[in-house]
Amino acid sequence: MRNGLSTFWDGRGFDLLLVGIPLAFLIAISGSALVYNVVMSFQEVGMFTLGSFVRPFAGLKNYAEVLSDPQTWPILGNTAIFVVGSLSGQFIVGFALALFFGLKFPGSTYLRGLFLVSWVMPGLVTGALWSWLLAGDFGVVNFFLRSLGIINENIFWRSDPAFALWSVVIANIWFGTSFNMILLSVGLASIPEDLYEAASLDGANVFQRFFTITLPMMRSTIGALLSLGLIFTLQQFDLFAALTDGGPNNASNVAQYWAWQLSFREYDFARGATVSVMMIIVVIAAALFYVRSTRHEVRG
Amino acid sequence: MQRILPIASAAVMGLALALPSAARAQDPVTITIWTVDKTGQPTPDLAREFDESEPDINVVYREVPFADLMSEALRAFSIGKAPDIFAVDNPDTAMLAANGALLDLTDMIAKSDAIKVENYFDGPMESATWDGHIYGVPKATNTIALYYNKDMFKEAGIKEPPRTWDELIEDARKLNKPDKGVYGVAFSAKASEEGTFQFLPFVQMAGGSYDHINSEGGVKALTFFKTLLDEGLASPDTVSRTQWASTATFNAGNAAMAISGPWELNRMADEADFDWGVALLPVPEEGAQRSSAMGDYNWVIFKTTKHPEAAFKALEFFANQDKDLFQRFGQLPARRDIDIPPTGNDKKDAALQVFLEQMKYAKPRGPHPEWPKISKAIQTALQAALAGGATPQEALDQAAKTIDGIID
Repeated sequence: MRNGLSTFWDGRGFDLLLVGIPLAFLIAISGSALVYNVVMSFQEVGMFTLGSFVRPFAGLKNYAEVLSDPQTWPILGNTAIFVVGSLSGQFIVGFALALFFGLKFPGSTYLRGLFLVSWVMPGLVTGALWSWLLAGDFGVVNFFLRSLGIINENIFWRSDPAFALWSVVIANIWFGTSFNMILLSVGLASIPEDLYEAASLDGANVFQRFFTITLPMMRSTIGALLSLGLIFTLQQFDLFAALTDGGPNNASNVAQYWAWQLSFREYDFARGATVSVMMIIVVIAAALFYVRSTRHEVRG
Repeated sequence: MQRILPIASAAVMGLALALPSAARAQDPVTITIWTVDKTGQPTPDLAREFDESEPDINVVYREVPFADLMSEALRAFSIGKAPDIFAVDNPDTAMLAANGALLDLTDMIAKSDAIKVENYFDGPMESATWDGHIYGVPKATNTIALYYNKDMFKEAGIKEPPRTWDELIEDARKLNKPDKGVYGVAFSAKASEEGTFQFLPFVQMAGGSYDHINSEGGVKALTFFKTLLDEGLASPDTVSRTQWASTATFNAGNAAMAISGPWELNRMADEADFDWGVALLPVPEEGAQRSSAMGDYNWVIFKTTKHPEAAFKALEFFANQDKDLFQRFGQLPARRDIDIPPTGNDKKDAALQVFLEQMKYAKPRGPHPEWPKISKAIQTALQAALAGGATPQEALDQAAKTIDGIID
């Protein structure tokens, strides 16, 4: 005998309950903030109307203003460079390290664990660290580059518009590489050994094994990793605050930092919200890609 | 035990009934104070002393980093959690006042013995006033002048600190020693209020102002800054370094001159192992008008406070400590009625006289309720010309366009 209520601890109602609780939680914690942000992007928000919900409707004015701002396109370009530069750096170095530690030499697991230190450190600490390393007049990096004869004059990593963005990219690669390495190590470990054995019996060399076995077998790991990486990179804020402040002359400014500057430096909360909404669209696309790449894992 | 308790509580109740006012007075009010002051700077000590001197008032102090000062206060205000007392950077006072966030102190000051308008310098008081009402009490004041390394000057055969911009460039060329890691001059053109603070006095000396930033004077000032960077007389990091960080390079002997304020005096007296002095900011040419920035904070009380009397009492207590502000903390009181006695440190005392002289030419920024946006336009121009390859004229034309849109 089943009545409507009993399905809540056994049956369809229970499933709904399991989905419903986290969903309600998500909506309350993240969703409401997101929606509020979207609403703000269509309003006129002054410094002192920040506390109220009812504000004059601005239509698409904020979007028109952001899109016609001469700063917008350079900053979006920087964001793209930052994302592509950071992701490829993190991924390539992370993959190389994962393959290296996959050789299982003595102590490899401990060393691999130690690499996580960079991921565990707060972004501001990492930023402070790199701001010393990359300092212009007395930086360690400049010292080594000069000693090696690669440069004759100091590079002003944080103040030279040609290098400012790259100094953050370098710090971010250092920051995210270990995370990439750990996820890729897990992916590598899940590839059955006998595939490699069979391939080498057939005479496949190292590169053939890598491109025909390793890469295809890790497709979903890589897809998930890149979409997570994109999200993390678009979230990266601390390094900009600690290293360049988006400067000089916006040379290292990216959308997420600009959104914050608009809101909390110029107190233009509506435009800050508008830039964040534009970023949310990109992140949602990445999130969809992430869900697609990990879907088969759920099905087993 | 069971007998004693009711008796004791009855006695307490009787006492409470007998002394109603005393019992109420023991119910302390709590006021919160937010400033940028770190340990060793005035507010933490003064807040504690006020707390101890007033048994009925508890003081909670919170230090807020400069970069987050306004955004923290605005966020707190918008959700009704603003501090009672806040030290606002003086150019931002108008913005808070114009939007009705601050308690009008005009009447309280009129009745006060400790705080009298006529005792304050005009510039700081002007920055605390909006629309004829007084919303703040100057916390301290400061301005910028030119620090110079006397040992380096002697070594280069320069007898006197530069008096004009041309002399400064000339001296900087002589003092600049890239192979030894020594720059001619250190200053800050960072894209923050600090950049505006350092740049605007030069604009004003050349006859420009924030509402005519692209006038001849503005262009001349920016060209002067650009020359210093283009010739390598100042570190390329000038565009990304704070004043505090820039002057640190002077203290370490890596710059022969530094443009900064009296807040450096205590640190410099401790750190610099060379002979140094302070000179008035050089002017565009002999006989040109002087000008300087006017820095520091105004004490304000947020309108949302539940204890305006207690909060104002705190401001009066702070004002009464102004007389020791320089000796204890190395900061200048914004007061014309206070004679600062010598500290016993010759360099500091000599520097003080220069800063007091320079103070006479200090002008407030604004006051304008949209100051953060105006300032941002000026910073953008600074960065565009010094790091972005724009000419001073182009950069300032763009800034003037933005500023005109703001002030109409």
